[in-house]
Amino acid sequence: MDVLSLLLADSRFPGGGHVHSGGLEEAVARGLVTSERDLPPFLSGRLRGAGELAAVFAAAAAHAAARGVRSGYWLLLDAELDARTPSLAQREASRAQGRGTARAGRVAWPSPVLAGLLAATPRPHHPVILGALAGIAGTPPRDAARAAAYLAVSGPASAAVRLLGLDPLSVNAIVAALAGDLEAVAARAAASAGAEPADLPAPGAPALDLLAEAHVRQHKKKEVRLFAS
Amino acid sequence: MKAHARLTAELDPASGRTRLRELRSMAPLTLFPKRGGGTAQVHLVSSATTPLGGDELTLTVRVGPGASLRLSGVAATLALPGSHGEPSSAAVHLEVAEDATLEYLPEPTVVTARARHTATLTASLADGARLRTSEVLVLGRDGERPGGLVTTTNVTRGAVPLLRQRLMIGDPLLDASAAYLAGRKVLASEVLVWGADPAEAVGGDWWSVTPLAAGGTLLTVLAPDAVEAGARLAVARRHHPGWTPGCHDPVAPVTDQTVSPRSGNP
Amino acid sequence: MPADNHDHEHGHGHGHFHPVNFDPTATEPDRYAAQPQRGRAYRIGIGGPVGSGKTALVAALCRALGDELNLAVVTNDIYTTEDADFLRRAGVLDADRIEAVQTGACPHTAIRDDITANLDAVEQLEERFPGLDLVIIESGGDNLTAVFSRGLADSQVFVVDVAGGDKVPRKGGPGVTTADLLVINKIDIAHLVGADLDVMTSDAHRMRGELPVIAQSLVETPDAPAVADWVRSVLPVAAA
Repeated sequence: MDVLSLLLADSRFPGGGHVHSGGLEEAVARGLVTSERDLPPFLSGRLRGAGELAAVFAAAAAHAAARGVRSGYWLLLDAELDARTPSLAQREASRAQGRGTARAGRVAWPSPVLAGLLAATPRPHHPVILGALAGIAGTPPRDAARAAAYLAVSGPASAAVRLLGLDPLSVNAIVAALAGDLEAVAARAAASAGAEPADLPAPGAPALDLLAEAHVRQHKKKEVRLFAS
Repeated sequence: MKAHARLTAELDPASGRTRLRELRSMAPLTLFPKRGGGTAQVHLVSSATTPLGGDELTLTVRVGPGASLRLSGVAATLALPGSHGEPSSAAVHLEVAEDATLEYLPEPTVVTARARHTATLTASLADGARLRTSEVLVLGRDGERPGGLVTTTNVTRGAVPLLRQRLMIGDPLLDASAAYLAGRKVLASEVLVWGADPAEAVGGDWWSVTPLAAGGTLLTVLAPDAVEAGARLAVARRHHPGWTPGCHDPVAPVTDQTVSPRSGNP
Repeated sequence: MPADNHDHEHGHGHGHFHPVNFDPTATEPDRYAAQPQRGRAYRIGIGGPVGSGKTALVAALCRALGDELNLAVVTNDIYTTEDADFLRRAGVLDADRIEAVQTGACPHTAIRDDITANLDAVEQLEERFPGLDLVIIESGGDNLTAVFSRGLADSQVFVVDVAGGDKVPRKGGPGVTTADLLVINKIDIAHLVGADLDVMTSDAHRMRGELPVIAQSLVETPDAPAVADWVRSVLPVAAA
């Protein structure tokens, strides 16, 4: 794992990730997650749905960016990830984080490939810009996928500490226990990295989509919500 | 058992009615035409023990330009394990031509213990095509844990992907996860590519109507049983601005209140 | 090109950038200093502890400056839309000139360490209102170490109040010592809470050196004229 992967997966990376709970805030508001005991199943579900999808597209973007892609590829990848993200709220959350990551990426790692991606998709999906930044730097698709999958669980884990006052040592241990699953997700994503965008896997998770939609509804109703998603 | 049933509907320009050009059943998939008005109606009857481990079932439905077809299931199907644990698969291919309409509404699929089933639905739409298709998955019979099911949905319009989703059922951790299936027994979903999509998502605690990025709308319901799932789906459908129920659509007797007292958001 | 011009072209201050400049007389601008880019609004951050009167000051500035400046507000209140709603109800600004951002339960992170959500909100306002002169960014109530990133705010105001205790300026912290303006709020109630205003202001000046301090009461001067004047003084000339 190279420094770029560490930077992208760091919770201190200034890409706006800290204001997204990945559905955890809504789950907490409904009493679905109340303690350390509820966190592992939540994170596992998140990893196998949103996390796996993010890993698949981060790996594909890294693979493409490293090889210099044909024009139009980024639009294609964007449309395919849209089609795999039926929840409008999830698409918005992904693009918000993508835009933040792009803003940070333009400053730290300017490149023609990045400029091309942002010209085609000014508000890229988070996994795509993350994977592209990795690929431009020569980071293998598997590392990009691992970072994307890790962020899919580390964000909600941190939100759980902030929202429920959970013991950070226990929460850290819970995330650490996902290491095997994270590696498996990254390996599968890397295996499909070179596929045609239309043929990429499309893992979904209906409950997470419903939590994301409900979260946005609560925002509109002016209920107290501390996270953007 | 391997079976491939085919159904082709075309518009008869003289009468303005849809005619069934091809209607090829193959056990255990039996297609029964019904007499009706401008929309052709066909019932899909599967044998009670379908799909069974070892089965490879394929259904291809084509609706020609301007034609209108409604294909509905008659009874719930049970995904059952083979005697030696063989997997089963069911593939549905839908092709809907310009300005054609297809409703594909199978009855619920019950994923029984130890089943290993793969279901795929591929819908290719031309410009101006309308599609309504639903999927209701029941995670095991009463008191039964579900076997394994992988279901994949692909809906495209021309070269544009509208919806691609794959879902795995049967991993106890994921079935119970609030971030995956939330421990609910029934997942009902419906794709509507049917006129105007909602401008923003609508929903309640465990259901939503959400516009897809490139057109079309997905209705999603997680419910404790199939009856509530169906009723909630009917409520959700009313939030779709483009939906115009056909003359064959029974009037759903439910209201938001009767379905879930928890929901404050119609 | 004459040869004698060649060396000249490699002198300083002629449009090309030298990463390190050892010439003490060089006058190239510090590219790391906050330099509002042409075509974007000036951004003033208003921070300070919970209850010190940040939102009331924002409302006062909107009243004082709303007629002369094209302005908008971003709020970071942890109760999501509480401050935005206060401002909307106060009627000092059109509702669509106020954006509320979520801070993920970490208000200091959102204004300092990861300013993405705030930058997004500012850029949305700039897109919605072309020619925007000023965006006031109000932080969520936080502690004495919470300051705005220079990447987010061009200037910042730190607001404390007499009810928080007259030791606050003496305690220092980046907010009190480095903010471009320190406002000591609610001076009309100093006698009620036993705060010694002279101690507070003299401590503040001692901690801050040359940086300005304004003691005010929004009860006595509801439009915060002194702070409004300070805002006018920091705005780029073209916008003021």
